[in-house]
Amino acid sequence: MAHLDTSEGFAVMAAGLRKRYASDPEALRGVDFAVRPGEIYGLLGPNGAGKSTALQILTTLLLPSAGSAQIFGEDVLAAQRAVRRIIGVVLQETGVDPLLTGWEALELQARLFGASRTAARRRVHELVELLSLQDFARRRIAGYSGGMRRRLDLALGLVHAPRVLFLDEPTTGLDPLSRRSLWDLVRRVRRESATTIFLTTQYLEEADSLCDRVAILQAGVLVAEDSPSGLKRRMRRDLIELEPQDPRLADRLLAIARQRQPEAMWDRQVVRLAVADGAAAAEDLLAAAREAGIRLSGLRVAPPSLDDVFLELTGAPGPDRLAGSGS
Amino acid sequence: MRVLQFVQELWLLTARSLKVAVREPWAVLPNVVISLFFLFVYDAGLGAIGQLHAFAGVPYLAFILPVALVSGSVGGAGAAGQALVRDLESRYFTKLRLTPVSRTALVMAPMVSGMIQLVAQTILILLVALWLGLKLPGGPLAAVAVVLLAAGWGLGFAGYAVAIALRSQSGRTAQAATFVFFPLLFLSDTFVPLALIRAGWLRIAAEVNPTTYVFDAMRALLAHGFETGPLLRGLAAILALAFLTLGLAVHAAQRSLREA
Repeated sequence: MAHLDTSEGFAVMAAGLRKRYASDPEALRGVDFAVRPGEIYGLLGPNGAGKSTALQILTTLLLPSAGSAQIFGEDVLAAQRAVRRIIGVVLQETGVDPLLTGWEALELQARLFGASRTAARRRVHELVELLSLQDFARRRIAGYSGGMRRRLDLALGLVHAPRVLFLDEPTTGLDPLSRRSLWDLVRRVRRESATTIFLTTQYLEEADSLCDRVAILQAGVLVAEDSPSGLKRRMRRDLIELEPQDPRLADRLLAIARQRQPEAMWDRQVVRLAVADGAAAAEDLLAAAREAGIRLSGLRVAPPSLDDVFLELTGAPGPDRLAGSGS
Repeated sequence: MRVLQFVQELWLLTARSLKVAVREPWAVLPNVVISLFFLFVYDAGLGAIGQLHAFAGVPYLAFILPVALVSGSVGGAGAAGQALVRDLESRYFTKLRLTPVSRTALVMAPMVSGMIQLVAQTILILLVALWLGLKLPGGPLAAVAVVLLAAGWGLGFAGYAVAIALRSQSGRTAQAATFVFFPLLFLSDTFVPLALIRAGWLRIAAEVNPTTYVFDAMRALLAHGFETGPLLRGLAAILALAFLTLGLAVHAAQRSLREA
């Protein structure tokens, strides 16, 4: 880690970030990462993993309980103002005054970052063009659809040409079409301005499609960090779930599964196991079950979900599952 | 340079608050209407008692006008709190916090915007009173002084409203907190001079209530012009309230802006 001692070279640096809330004493349990300039870096994790907490600390909205973070060498605690000048932030938790028009909100934002009136107008023109806001920029924000709001939010985050852009679950709640067009925009922003982009997401697909590197956050801890292809290589496994008609035969079914994959487990009324080739293994398992006289009421073969990725990477159920039934 | 920048930021944020207030006039209009209603109804209904000895020759219109002005200024101050709550609830405030703008400017802008609305409203009520037959022996300067007193008292309340808004982050709590306005407005020599108040407890309450001194300062200005005694007592009441509530607002801002 010696090469990380100087934070200068990195766009975003975090060391030992911890956050304890009264309600959640382990929201972040010591998180480190180093994002290179120009990189699109994704923080992937389910709800409650601590993604938003990490993002709020990096963007000066929240104080960490311990640890430190720098944006291009500026400390998020000691140099808040300097940090705010060089970061653009699009948070789920922020809003825009619904009584303003998009144009007015953008111009005000530009001026609050110190632009003159003329410079602010010029910049708003550019952004309206870049994000195709022409059709509704002059209308009040109260009447915007979700997709329009997301594009305006992105424009607001880009007003001052930030060196690092933080995006908090940028496509959650968007339809697939809007999602793809937002991805295109994010790529375009990086291409045209060499902006470093730090985003959080719950979607494996989003991380895969957008990010140069992905860190997986689970229950306040980073459990993996790699390029999407690297992660996928680790995860290139299909998941098989077998449900016995008679639950009393679960043990026998599990034994059959374990002969083929020792890590097979009984979970939520099904036997589940991860295998390299789902189709072939399913065929084999079905035959073995029939031979043993076990009738199945359900069979599923699927690529891994994010939850399965956690299972795979940590050997423990994801936080969502822990919060569920006690089984 | 720092100061210039601060003024610039404060102005940008205030201008936006005013713009929004104009677009949603229903937040402000009822308050003006209520103040004018006070003026009309009390002057029409009680005007004749101004001839009583205890009024010492102050026309009832000049006596009751400060009540309308103070109720208006308290309402205007409440609007400052409401504006902040609106931003907190729409989360626009978080977006503003992410700009490098001074934190003080962020919290002061709704107050300044509230004060500007309040001054406009005070002038309007004064004009209506003039139309109703108010005489100003103290001249236009006395009227200006009355406007400034109303603005100062309003600023004191704005500090209170903003402190509550920041602490509670809730529109309903901020709204409920404005109810202190009732005892402050009515446990005083609101309708008649102290000498005519029969209940001993009410007289004591009136003497403790700082609003009484603001009323008296305004009444002296309206009926006679500049009189040092009442004016100083009124100013003292305003300064005391403003120091207290602005201190609270700054404290609340520091707490909630560091970690929210």
